[in-house]
Amino acid sequence: MIAWAASPFGRIVTRVLLVLACLAFWQFIPVSRAVRFWMSSPSLIAEQFWLWLLDGTLWFHLQASLYVMAQGYVIGSAFGIVFGFLLGHFRRVHRVLTPFLSAVYAVPKIALTPLFIILLGVDNASKIALVGVTVFFLILTATIDGVRDVDHDMVQSFSLMGATRLEIVRKLLIPASLPWIFTGMRIAVRYAFTNTLLAELIASNRGLGFLIEFNSGNFNTTGSYAAIFALVLCSVGLTELLSRGEARIARWRLP
Amino acid sequence: MTEKIRLEAVTKLFNTRGTTTVALKPVDLSVRDNEFVALVGPSGCGKSTILNMVAGLMPASGGRVLYDGAPVAGANRRVGYMTQKDTLLPWRSTADNIRLALELKCRRTAKSEADDRVAQMIDLVGLKGFEKHFPAELSGGMRKRAALARTLIYEPETLLMDEPFGALDAQLKLVMLDQLQRLTQDRRMTVLFVTHDLAEAITLADRIVIFSGRPGRIRSIHDIALPRPRDVYKARFDPDFAHLHATLWDEMKDDVIAAGARA
Repeated sequence: MIAWAASPFGRIVTRVLLVLACLAFWQFIPVSRAVRFWMSSPSLIAEQFWLWLLDGTLWFHLQASLYVMAQGYVIGSAFGIVFGFLLGHFRRVHRVLTPFLSAVYAVPKIALTPLFIILLGVDNASKIALVGVTVFFLILTATIDGVRDVDHDMVQSFSLMGATRLEIVRKLLIPASLPWIFTGMRIAVRYAFTNTLLAELIASNRGLGFLIEFNSGNFNTTGSYAAIFALVLCSVGLTELLSRGEARIARWRLP
Repeated sequence: MTEKIRLEAVTKLFNTRGTTTVALKPVDLSVRDNEFVALVGPSGCGKSTILNMVAGLMPASGGRVLYDGAPVAGANRRVGYMTQKDTLLPWRSTADNIRLALELKCRRTAKSEADDRVAQMIDLVGLKGFEKHFPAELSGGMRKRAALARTLIYEPETLLMDEPFGALDAQLKLVMLDQLQRLTQDRRMTVLFVTHDLAEAITLADRIVIFSGRPGRIRSIHDIALPRPRDVYKARFDPDFAHLHATLWDEMKDDVIAAGARA
């Protein structure tokens, strides 16, 4: 029995059975109406989810979340790469700025959300700013590390060949630090997603985080569970996408 | 003949964690245009330091380093430098690594001409069939040859070489020495060649500078009057060669043994 459950096909069947057992327990355990209200039930949640799927609620909020996440991610990455190269290259400037950078780096960016809301309003801009700042610092440090890791002997051999500063940057520093930047960007995707969610939970009028918060606020436990289920699907999808992308990048690299 | 490189009472001190080490005691050396000078001596005697100073990668602590009569200040772009560690770019194929110098603005070359020259160099160093391989896919010896091709392709007037063929097997080393001799003669290059292989030095050099162990200083300088072109494959069976080898070995053996005991 155990051996069968460990085979690839058996594993899948076992997983499905496990989920079904949990759902059945959740659905059929005899409880009072009051408790049922708080714990909801799989059938109610499925119904709610299906309804949202049909009337477009889900797409609307999913789109809103992804839009914030993508904008913040792209803006944060772009600035992170540019400033990372500048600080990696001009070491004296970097040395002067290091204590400030580490101070800001250490602050949990989510604490800045109320400030961003005052400054930029409750709309997308404040959320994009939060995601952007978070991603910026991750990419900034990755890029600085990448530029500083470049073999000094290679830089010297370039200058002996007569390379200009720009040529050293274009032909040596950028390609040499690309793997570092990719690693930073890979890690940053997860941070961007988490921070989007957090920003939406704090103050928002759309997005998956808002959907969870809104339904909880109205004591609609069924809605909250349905929204969380949507979030789980979204996270799994994103993780899957990332690991496929990583596999593809790994194939470019050499042993 | 005119003088290409001149060291005047050059010294070098290294400061590491509060202690000062003397790497080089005052050294005087003059290298003529189109001359092949080999620097030999035990490890840690400052031979590589001299190359670094001529290349302008490292300032002298005292004295002056002159190139074409002018003090070297900053990277010396008239020299090609082959360091012990090869500096091939891991993300470029062999051919693209060798082509690198021809892509730079200071000697921009048309693609077709660059292709021809790269193919020639690859042929010359025996890397045919490995053009598309990346450095990580080459053996140590192949990487050395790729690095040599990358340095030679832009025909620098002076070549600085730091134990370039140390990692090669004996037969391949002879082939490389033969090619190096021919190239440097044809192109009338000046060469400063650091090695610890006395036979290699005698085979190639017009003059051999013997260094004594740390702190480094010049023990003696010897003219190698063997006729050119030399047959690198047979040179070592020549009685004059054997005689020179014995004399020079006597000169340096105490230092080498002392350095070995320290290591």
